[in-house]
Amino acid sequence: MIGESYHYNEDFTELTIKIRPGVEWSDGVAFTARDIAFTLHMLRDNAPFLRWSADIEAWVKEAQVIDDLTVKIILNEPNPRFMAHYLMDGFVKALWIVPEHIWKDQDPVSFTNLDIAGGWPVGTGPYRLAQVTDTEFIYDLREDWWASEIGFKPLPRVERIIYRLAADETMLAMAIIKNEVDMTGDLPPALMMEVLEKNPKVSTFSYHEPPFGYIDWWPTYMGFNILEPPFDSAEMRWAISYAINPDDIEVYALEGYGKTSKVIFPEYPPLMEYYYDIADLLEEYPIGEFNLEKSADIMLGQGYVKDGEGFWVDPDGERISFVIASHLIFREIPAVVVANLRDAGFDAAFHKPVGVWEMFATGEARIYITGHAGSLRDPWGSLDLFHSRFVLPTGTLATSFYRWANPEFDRIVDEMAGVGFGDPRVFDLHRQAMEIWLPELPCIPLANWYHRNPINHTYWTGFPNVDDPYTNDAFWHKQALMPMLWRLEPAK
Amino acid sequence: MTISYLLKRLGFFVLVIWIASTIIFLLPRLPERNPVAERMLETAARGGGVVVGLDEMMAAWNEKFGLDQPMWRQYLNFYKDLLHLDLGYSLAVFPTRVSAMLVRAIPWSIGLLVVSTLIAFTLGSLGGALLAWPKAPRFVKYFMPLLLCLSAIPFYLMAIALLALFAFTLGIFPLGGGHAGGVVSSLSLPFILDVLRHATLPALALVLSGVGWWALSMRGMMVIGLKEDYITFGEAKGLRGKRVFFRYALRNVLLPQVTSLALSLGLLLSGSVLVEVVFNYPGLGTLFYTAIKSFDYTVINGVALLSILGVATATLAVDLLYPLLDPRITSQRRMK
Repeated sequence: MIGESYHYNEDFTELTIKIRPGVEWSDGVAFTARDIAFTLHMLRDNAPFLRWSADIEAWVKEAQVIDDLTVKIILNEPNPRFMAHYLMDGFVKALWIVPEHIWKDQDPVSFTNLDIAGGWPVGTGPYRLAQVTDTEFIYDLREDWWASEIGFKPLPRVERIIYRLAADETMLAMAIIKNEVDMTGDLPPALMMEVLEKNPKVSTFSYHEPPFGYIDWWPTYMGFNILEPPFDSAEMRWAISYAINPDDIEVYALEGYGKTSKVIFPEYPPLMEYYYDIADLLEEYPIGEFNLEKSADIMLGQGYVKDGEGFWVDPDGERISFVIASHLIFREIPAVVVANLRDAGFDAAFHKPVGVWEMFATGEARIYITGHAGSLRDPWGSLDLFHSRFVLPTGTLATSFYRWANPEFDRIVDEMAGVGFGDPRVFDLHRQAMEIWLPELPCIPLANWYHRNPINHTYWTGFPNVDDPYTNDAFWHKQALMPMLWRLEPAK
Repeated sequence: MTISYLLKRLGFFVLVIWIASTIIFLLPRLPERNPVAERMLETAARGGGVVVGLDEMMAAWNEKFGLDQPMWRQYLNFYKDLLHLDLGYSLAVFPTRVSAMLVRAIPWSIGLLVVSTLIAFTLGSLGGALLAWPKAPRFVKYFMPLLLCLSAIPFYLMAIALLALFAFTLGIFPLGGGHAGGVVSSLSLPFILDVLRHATLPALALVLSGVGWWALSMRGMMVIGLKEDYITFGEAKGLRGKRVFFRYALRNVLLPQVTSLALSLGLLLSGSVLVEVVFNYPGLGTLFYTAIKSFDYTVINGVALLSILGVATATLAVDLLYPLLDPRITSQRRMK
């Protein structure tokens, strides 16, 4: 909205952005190219303390102010995805541009940027922060918003936005049933159906039909610390994959209202084109196939036998025992997977300990169930999660948890990084990468992740849905809320 | 009260705070999980892609918070800051100071819990004393046992039941929060009334759950107290029943009850967590719960320290005030 256009140079090492004229901060100061340049330099110069600062330090050589409305970003390496990843994509990605005239005299690491009486924080959106407590944020509409004054966008009809903290899902459900709120965060299917039944004015992205929401970009998968036995063996990983029954996950873990997954990225239409393109590979390496015979064949072929209780033991008589680490948000998926694995002869259990993210990152969790986010439009983002530059010894914090290394795979992913969105070469590179990835199976895709956000139509209409998906309805996503606010009209 | 008595009690006060705060310092650190790493890794994983340099960022913030120091040095730094009344920054919502978060939450907890406890104490003590008094009005005999039954219900279950009935089903009271959503805080009458309305159900949960306990303990002491000679003497002298009840019986058995009240006020935090969480009440309990979920060491320490100080101060106050309240203690010491 603030940007009018952008273009790269030929080798994707320079990105030029044109800003729309007339954009202003909420204190009346003009938003210019200087704010973008200042923000990028501030992040670069204060790495690694600020979020995204290490990224900007790695990618940005400098940002040049060509004129008030034009900034040129000089990159250290070719990156056709820099604009999308850091300045456009929403969800919970993308960095915030800060006002130079306020931040230039502050220590960016400790600056609170909060002085409501003084008008801080300033922003370029149509709302200002009116009050903040530990349980609530209140934003009020600004009548003097620049976009409405220049005729670019109308003022939203919503005059006040209130974010409230809720203790748990039951409180969310009660609040929306009683019409105390217009939207809440995720609810599980069973609770969602209660809500829909008790308040007919509440619906979801898919109305009153399953899955009661939409697929999010954060699929669930089973991962391994591939540096550590027995998961350093691709055969073991495939034996485990064949032992997992996706029907059980759909029925018991997803309550019959979700979809298991066979891909490492969310099942969005642009991405699924890459999945369908490698159908022949997937026949040879059938992710998501439940086949206890194949699982047993692999284990027997590796020299394992079953003990008197039906569990696999190695040639030394040691049982294959492991505890799957996971997080509370994955609900019943670990329990169902453990039941499948035990039926297949793996002495498996699960736990959801405090500090589990650190366990994933250090490799202390040798086998785990979690989510990952990467791709939105093309496969590079998700494939890059498996790059070996993230592999660190067990015990060291790694930012991608797989600890799988393949130099040829790295080369292909690096080459893909320099190819722009929509370039047909990505299909070929994706195939080459998956020819290496599939036999190795560094992770087992399990399920799509859904956002099931109840929407109350008592006071407002115009929310997005499957027939009018102008945005997603996760109001906490950066790209979602404003399009919704422009479309909302009072119901009465 | 002698100087040595005073010094002994003060010394004990300091010792209790030191031991308890040491335990509070150690407990979150026992699992050997790094709160900075935990927070950053979860944010990065949900945020998409792989954040470059996350390990450097974690190392930098660990150094900033002193978490890269050996445990003994972290301990010394903790006490050094404490002596300057510096509770540090929140790890989860940096750069908010822990003291700022406590200052915002304290008024809510004190307002709700102190008032509820005092109401429960007054009703319970009076009701319990009347239960033991042979000449009590008849309605007391029927009303108090009902309250005793309600008191058998744990306060958090009482809270859920009240929420389900009066807020969700009947819609008489709000579902939760300290005040209506979207209302800017002020000292206006409408805001104060709104706060009182939101505090009614949480307070009712605490009062209904607590009144029976006070009543039972008071009744027990009253039964024993009524057998004292001075009660018989007072009745024999022909004193009015009300005078014997209030000035002779109740006054003398009230002291242990007051001791319990002082201690229970100090223990407010432990009772507040669940009630505040159920009602989404913005007090110390909710702050504590949120800090535990987000592994926010510094806020956990801050809230727990406040609770420790409360209990220790209440105990000290009782120890120091008792000789003044009960002349028998002072005269017995003099006789020795």
